[in-house]
Amino acid sequence: MKAQEFAIFGLFLSLGAAAFGATKHDYIVTGSKPDHLFVVDPAKRTIASEFKIPGANDFVGTIVPSPGGRIAYVLVNKMESIAGIDLTTGKEVFRADLSTPGERVKCIFAFDVTPDGKELIVYELPVKLGLSEYKVEDTRFAVFDTRAGLHAEPVREFPAPRRVHTILARKDGKSFFAIGFDLYEYDIATGKRLGMRGIRHWDYPGHSIPDLLAFWPVSEPTGIFASPVYSTVKPPSGHGAPVAKTALMTLDLATGKLAFHDFETTSALIFSAVMSPTKPEAFGVYSQLSKIDTGNYTLARRVDLAHTYYAVLVSTDGKEVYTAGAMCDIGIFDAETLAEKGDVRLTGCTDQSITSPRLIRR
Amino acid sequence: MSGMKPANQKAELLLDAAQAGHVQEVVTMESIAGCATTFDPGWEVDPFGGIASLCQPMEADLYGCSDPCWWPAQVPDTLNTYPNWDAGAPSAQNDWRELDAVFPKK
Repeated sequence: MKAQEFAIFGLFLSLGAAAFGATKHDYIVTGSKPDHLFVVDPAKRTIASEFKIPGANDFVGTIVPSPGGRIAYVLVNKMESIAGIDLTTGKEVFRADLSTPGERVKCIFAFDVTPDGKELIVYELPVKLGLSEYKVEDTRFAVFDTRAGLHAEPVREFPAPRRVHTILARKDGKSFFAIGFDLYEYDIATGKRLGMRGIRHWDYPGHSIPDLLAFWPVSEPTGIFASPVYSTVKPPSGHGAPVAKTALMTLDLATGKLAFHDFETTSALIFSAVMSPTKPEAFGVYSQLSKIDTGNYTLARRVDLAHTYYAVLVSTDGKEVYTAGAMCDIGIFDAETLAEKGDVRLTGCTDQSITSPRLIRR
Repeated sequence: MSGMKPANQKAELLLDAAQAGHVQEVVTMESIAGCATTFDPGWEVDPFGGIASLCQPMEADLYGCSDPCWWPAQVPDTLNTYPNWDAGAPSAQNDWRELDAVFPKK
């Protein structure tokens, strides 16, 4: 039995055990260049299985796991295709190639699966490729049936605003959030816009227009999406240069509650954040790992990292924090002290780049 | 733009857009949305005016910038124009010697 087959067999056993009511375990799904998809067992500090994504074309981007974690939908092919990979067998079970002859379609990070696992909502930026010119077309949301196999085509399409970079399905399955200049909410069935709340147009007294970088659509395990947001306020003296503030944006995917809270005068960058499932805390990552007290909205702890990571996850029991993305390893840290406890190095030290590592539980 | 005179057709179109009241459609990006829309200085300076808060090491950020065409002036646009720039070099820290400069196609 080859090493990879042995790993798959082991994953079969563990997943089978889970099906029969045994204790479920956390796994991290991540990707790397040029076409790798990994299932990492953070408790054992090992790679449980690894697969190759067909037609990845040197690009592995956003990862969206199906409910239950059986399939990982992965943005590949220079943002022009979404591949659904069965995380037990490694087989491609779904594929949507967004572009067609004459029309190039990119999905810039933004797609999600509905809570029932039946549909994918994809943000599309189409460009008509003419003989002597390119014509930028209107952006749109496209909905795909996840049971459509390897030649999926949209079952519904409806107009979308520009500049959307994150889509998050609401927990009730009836609507989804689109994060762009502002926070939009749309009916999944009809495409009707149900509401718009301010991000660029936020109502945060005394604060400038914020700056938001959010294309890691992580809301597990709490069901709350979190992201750092940057803005400036007037200095206390009222004179001189504005003072930069870092806030935490939170969006509860069950209730729809949106909140912004400053927690520090900006002293370090944070790319992405995740909420603790057990304590009033959040974790943010970049070249430092930061812990934010979300009870008092203060910076609780910060440690330097060996290198920059783009993405951060937290274990379901809230005891470990995982740093990932950018380079070729997953860092494992104690959630209390932020002390490093270990790491998992990906095969061949291939870069995760902008993929969005996700936590699944099976 | 009262003191400026269009030098080519595109500049004239831009002037027309201003006169037609479409200036509001041209706004500073606060979040990325694809190629050539990011006007950050790039790898030269961080938000604090130094370099300590740039990605460390820069190889950690190399493909994170070329994959989404984040800074097309600093790294090739692999989304559209130079899709094979990093082919065969999946690890920036180990394979950076394989990466070459690119030149406009004639």
